[in-house]
Amino acid sequence: MSANKRSPAAAPKPQVKSRPKSRPKPNTRASRNESFSDLLQVHQRLARNSGRRLVETPVSSFVTIFVIAVSLLLPALLFSLNSNLTSVLAGFEDSAQVTLYLRTGISDADAEEVSNGLLTLESINGATYISPAQALDEFGTATGLENLLQEMASNPLPGAIVVAPANVSPAAVDDLVQQLQELPEVDLVQVDSRWLQRLAAISELVGAIGRVLSLIVILGLFFIVGNTIKLAIENRKAEIRVIKLVGGSDMFAARPFLYTGFFYGLGGGILAIALQGIVLITFNSSLEALMHLYEGDFQLRGFALANGLVVVFVGATIGWTAALLTSLHHIRGISP
Amino acid sequence: MIKFDNVSKRYADGQEALVDVSFEVSRGELAFITGHSGAGKSTLLKLILAMESPSSGQLIANGVNLSRISSKQIALHRRQIGTVFQDHQLLHDRSVYDNVALPLEICGYHPADAGRRVRAALDKVGLLKKEKSFPAALSGGEQQRVGIARAVVNRPRIILADEPTGNLDPALSREVMKVFEQFQGVGVCLLVASHDASLIERLNCRTLVLDSGRLIADQKPRPDS
Repeated sequence: MSANKRSPAAAPKPQVKSRPKSRPKPNTRASRNESFSDLLQVHQRLARNSGRRLVETPVSSFVTIFVIAVSLLLPALLFSLNSNLTSVLAGFEDSAQVTLYLRTGISDADAEEVSNGLLTLESINGATYISPAQALDEFGTATGLENLLQEMASNPLPGAIVVAPANVSPAAVDDLVQQLQELPEVDLVQVDSRWLQRLAAISELVGAIGRVLSLIVILGLFFIVGNTIKLAIENRKAEIRVIKLVGGSDMFAARPFLYTGFFYGLGGGILAIALQGIVLITFNSSLEALMHLYEGDFQLRGFALANGLVVVFVGATIGWTAALLTSLHHIRGISP
Repeated sequence: MIKFDNVSKRYADGQEALVDVSFEVSRGELAFITGHSGAGKSTLLKLILAMESPSSGQLIANGVNLSRISSKQIALHRRQIGTVFQDHQLLHDRSVYDNVALPLEICGYHPADAGRRVRAALDKVGLLKKEKSFPAALSGGEQQRVGIARAVVNRPRIILADEPTGNLDPALSREVMKVFEQFQGVGVCLLVASHDASLIERLNCRTLVLDSGRLIADQKPRPDS
């Protein structure tokens, strides 16, 4: 029992001077430090190591990041397109107008009276009478055909009242159109914002597709990152075994992989906004031309900082979460 | 500190690795386990490390009943034990320093504090100058000593060693055993599996002899030698 009975010659002088009682507790928690800067230091090191591993295999890391970026790009583009459409719609909604073409033979004075009468309606914000002469002038100026028009015997244009509806929702505008149609002086009512309503419907559809696609993409990203992390764990099985043997918890062994997943997602998100920028720049000129046809002063807004941050945040969060779920699951299964 | 009470271990293939083993090793005691290869030495150490669980009987180490240990407790339990593995079990992509620091890293030591302890442990095994080397660049004996430094760096309550002197020349074996004796002197319980008969003879410690999974002898040290 008493090992201390060894001969003095065989027994080396104990060089550890402190007695068992005064010895710092070898306990795990006792010396655990919770200071923020220490924790930061530990995590900086973990992050550096995980980053280094990614850089060590540049091709496979890039392929993974690229796949994540492309997956994120599709819904990001749809949402960007949708938000552009919405902002276009918002710009036009205020200027939605209804034009009443009057019957021929109605005097300017009568027409003015009708126009003023319309202003008393609650559903109308403003009404402006454009007389046939005014209309001819404007038409001449706009087309450059003044001289030709002056030679015409009579003015073929009708008088018109331009009405700004108080409520620009499609239903309200429809109601107003019906009401105005019944006026005896009115020949034809034209809503200048039909195309706007179609655009609104398209925007709605794009948004819905974007939402469904996002869900599918998130699920896909989970599988991509999960599978990559699973392979990384497979490659470092021996290391995980050793860590477990010397008392590392599953979470401790999982930490480097969480950074790996986080970096994949972060890299994918950043690459996705870069790709989105390329796509938007490429299409900006043609879209501008299209919007010009609708007299819109239009500039694609895909670079909004907030949108970019959302893409990066979503990517990084998915990467980290997928890595957490996968690594805990697989590391639990590794026994020393 | 370590108490085996009629512990048996039968593997799934029916092999009886340990049969009805009972013994107790207390604080500040150094005991050798010896026997032919396949006698059950490694299984015995694996049971204490909770790498395997006993088929029957009761095993208590460091106050923890290892027959009923949850997977979460296992990690905590292993942090109290320093183990020297026969195959070293070093991480080959980390330097000697980082390998030895691993148990401290797991326990969340302050880096500066960890640095002092790692260097002290490396100094004890004579590898202070190799702290920046990688295990692959070391000889078998040096790797063995890195494993020993890692086992003692956390000042564990129990040290298990599986053939710790297997790759070492006699002079280094003596050095390593001296380190173990220092820990014994401060109350650590040590269990060393070895079939180095001359070493066991020279050190005159308690010796447990295993044969085909049975404990056939529990030799106390000679009263005076």
